[in-house]
Amino acid sequence: MEGEAGEELGPDKSAPKDFHFYHMDLYDTEDRLHIFPEENIRMQRDGIQAEVSSEPRGEGDGKIQRDLQEEVDELVHLYGLEDDHELGDEFVDENLFRVGVPEYPSHMMKRRDPAREQRDWRLTGEAAEAKDLGFRGWGSAGQCQDLREAYRYTHGRASEEYECYVIPEEEDEEEAADVFCITCKTQIRAFQKTFDEHKEHEVMPLSKALESAKDEIHKNMYKLEKQIIEMENFANHLEEVFITVEENFGKQEQNFESHYNEILETLAQKYEEKIQALGEKKKEKLETLYGQLVSCGENLDTCKELMETIEEMCHEEKVDFIKSMCFYTNRLGRFLKTKTDMEISAQPDFEDQTLDFSDVEQLMGSINTIPAPSAPVINPQAPNSATGSSVRVCWSLYSDDTVESYQLSYRPVQNSSPGKDRAEFTVTIKETYCSVMKLVPNTQYEFWVTAHNRAGSSPPSEHAVYMTAPSPPIIKTKEIRSCEEAALICWESGNLNPVDSYTMELTQAERPEAAGVTESVVGIPTCESLVQLQPGQSYLVCVRALNVGGPSERSQPVAVHTKGSYFHLNEDTCHPWLAISEDGFTVVRSERQTTAREPLPSSARFTRCVAVMGNLIMVRGRHYWEVEVDEFLDYTVGVAFEDVPKQEDLGANRLSWCMRHTFTSSRHKYEFLHNRTTPDMRITCPPKKIGILLDYENSKLSFFNVDISQHLYTFSCQLYQFVHPCFSLENPGCLKIHNGISMPKSITF
Amino acid sequence: MALKQISSNKCFGGLQKVFEHDSVELNCKMKFAVYLPPKAESGKCPVLYWLSGLTCTEQNFISKSGYHQAASEHGLVVIAPDTSPRGCNIKGEDDSWDFGTGAGFYVDATEDPWKTNYRMYSYITEELPQLINANFPVDPQRMSIFGHSMGGHGALICALKNPGKYKSVSAFALICHPVLCPWGKKAFGGYLGPDQSKWKAYDATFLVKSYQGSQLDILIDQGKDDQFLLDGQLLPDNFIAASTEKKIPVVFRLQEGYDHSYYFIATFIADHIRYHAKYLNA
Repeated sequence: MEGEAGEELGPDKSAPKDFHFYHMDLYDTEDRLHIFPEENIRMQRDGIQAEVSSEPRGEGDGKIQRDLQEEVDELVHLYGLEDDHELGDEFVDENLFRVGVPEYPSHMMKRRDPAREQRDWRLTGEAAEAKDLGFRGWGSAGQCQDLREAYRYTHGRASEEYECYVIPEEEDEEEAADVFCITCKTQIRAFQKTFDEHKEHEVMPLSKALESAKDEIHKNMYKLEKQIIEMENFANHLEEVFITVEENFGKQEQNFESHYNEILETLAQKYEEKIQALGEKKKEKLETLYGQLVSCGENLDTCKELMETIEEMCHEEKVDFIKSMCFYTNRLGRFLKTKTDMEISAQPDFEDQTLDFSDVEQLMGSINTIPAPSAPVINPQAPNSATGSSVRVCWSLYSDDTVESYQLSYRPVQNSSPGKDRAEFTVTIKETYCSVMKLVPNTQYEFWVTAHNRAGSSPPSEHAVYMTAPSPPIIKTKEIRSCEEAALICWESGNLNPVDSYTMELTQAERPEAAGVTESVVGIPTCESLVQLQPGQSYLVCVRALNVGGPSERSQPVAVHTKGSYFHLNEDTCHPWLAISEDGFTVVRSERQTTAREPLPSSARFTRCVAVMGNLIMVRGRHYWEVEVDEFLDYTVGVAFEDVPKQEDLGANRLSWCMRHTFTSSRHKYEFLHNRTTPDMRITCPPKKIGILLDYENSKLSFFNVDISQHLYTFSCQLYQFVHPCFSLENPGCLKIHNGISMPKSITF
Repeated sequence: MALKQISSNKCFGGLQKVFEHDSVELNCKMKFAVYLPPKAESGKCPVLYWLSGLTCTEQNFISKSGYHQAASEHGLVVIAPDTSPRGCNIKGEDDSWDFGTGAGFYVDATEDPWKTNYRMYSYITEELPQLINANFPVDPQRMSIFGHSMGGHGALICALKNPGKYKSVSAFALICHPVLCPWGKKAFGGYLGPDQSKWKAYDATFLVKSYQGSQLDILIDQGKDDQFLLDGQLLPDNFIAASTEKKIPVVFRLQEGYDHSYYFIATFIADHIRYHAKYLNA
């Protein structure tokens, strides 16, 4: 765009003006700032375009116009430079073009200093831009806007002031400047170098000077950018401090208010108490004194009466006198013997005048100290926060409290023996959380926490029960069953207490580069899971146990292949005369019947035919396995329902289907038995390897001679339940079972 | 070799057709039936030859056996030729049902007056396949053969005399050992002359003893109540014994209660077509 403008301008003298306006209109808008991020790339591209397009044009123009052209190019360059850096603020542009569009060239001496000022100013202008840049980067657009406006306010005026200093850099065509005087920092015309004041000065070509000036600008801009970021951060920090101060003082105000109120209340209460005590004391004293007064009066009366009686007596006759004298003398004697209490029982003044202000003093004292914290609130256990040996306990405090440390106590929850001394542990922490280690897996612990500071400690929090994650389960490798579409994985819990559920994780082993877990089965309630898989793949399977505390570590992974059907022999069904080899896939009947280690009979064990049953996965689909046989061996292979009568021969009932081979008088006899019946068949080539295809979908069981892909026989069977492979040996020998193999292509019927 | 269409009927999505042509080997007009499965509309299909038994024409199989559904499903072209030259005006050709017309026995006759026309072996193994390959959408590399009774004998000798030519072979109640049975003795004596050593070249039990070459899986169904089995015309035990000795894989199924009829064939035809399809579509 600039390129176009420039070309139009080229021949026209007044062009720079137009250029200026055009430019302003296009870019000098506030809106642009708001949409900066989107425009960013485009702007840069424009800038580059401008630079590129300007150069050939400069060369192609006539010599007369070259100077002017260079001016324009410079402008374009400058502008391009700005675009490069996403500058677009109006005062920068304005001033740049004021620089670039002078009215008239004045003489050199005068314009030197202002020119320098001009440059400095321009730098500040760019700095403002850079500031914008920085802010945009830091995401505080609003603030950036504010600051920029503020900046404009302070500098906008300055720019106006500068208008009078604007130095014309564009010159008449015949007098265009072409070199740069480094000493004077101004442009001069080449011929001026030879005389004039620049004679002794160092000069360089104008374009070079321009380059170096630009570099300098770039550097300064970068510095300013950094400074702006720092300032911005500092301002944010100040703001935070401001808020904090406000909060803290508010808190303290409340604190004071509550404390002083408390003190006043305490004082008022104390006053009441004292006054009441005083009144009571007074009443008590007066009552005592009154009582004393009464008794005193009574005594006096008695004395008076005695006196009068004695006086009367003295006037009586002698005989009477003597008579009554004895009586009264005794009475008087008795009376005088009784103590007359003349002590004042109550003192008129206070005994206890000391006032106890210690509690008030304590209150007063506590105003400037912090209160003891209140009980923290312990959080319930966060899901998945525990491991097998640790839990992460969290709690919170009331925001008013100042806490220096917490004491976290815990002990295992044991429902069984509450009387037993349960070990209790305490740890001191500064944070409001703690990862407690070295715990027992899948165990509940109760936790409580107290907060402490200089003023004392809080009451304990509520007790919260946390639970450690379980121990990893142990996959029973010997019980893995699989087929093309699915696998049955069984495991031991690995934990004494029950866990909530299990999670199974499946990774396709074929693709180790996709190291992540390809599939997870969650919420498995029991210790086994039938999982759907892709055929012909290898998987690594591991299991985790879960409780409220979280998941256990992964179990040891096991490999599962979905190639063919894979099963193990069920030793619980194995006839005592049969032995299963180490690898689990060879069934051996020895020459001599070993009766020594006859296992306990069970309903699952074959007792009549010397057979064993395999544990085929319970998936309706196609299952294929092979049995290697000796061609002179009497054997029976086939399938049966799990509840087939074990005291009967295979094929002798409706619950089993099998192929039986007997070799008698040098003749092979093959029977395909179900419910005691067999088709009459001759097979001319005794198979050495029998392929057995169980096809639930088509309700068929087929037998093949694998080596020559010969179809031998197919049962149509009603498989209303799942059946399992059966292998029986009628005389000593062995059968080798091959499974987990894909079905040969030729095995079809 | 112009083909003349005699009939065409849609059946299980495909077409059951009958053609007539002038046979070079047999020096007469011959009819044969072709079943084109739906698959044949879009591409080449394997071809399965059916050889019928004594007295039959191409019609018996196509109208009685009920093979169409299985052939349609498996995408097999099924060819059913006639059982002998017809209308050759050879003296005595129509005298008995088990010799001459309707009883070609799938041999190339060497004796007069039969040797000009009664060249059913060459017709079945050479002329007819060329004709079929040239006129129908079939894959010449994938062909199999089966048959009933005399046709079963024909199918087996074709397969045993041409190792690799046929992908598979099966038979219903075939004449396993013609050299030793009344039918065989009569036919072979008439067509091949009294030299019994020449007979062995058309006897499945002898042929299997000397068979060498690509593996052949043979399926045989035999009705247990087949009168001809009881009469000693079929003699499967000899063939089984020879196969067992030579370890030629045969599955021989003795089907309880079935006789020699097309009812028996219809019962197990699907098994046989599936068996052939396994090899033809492999």
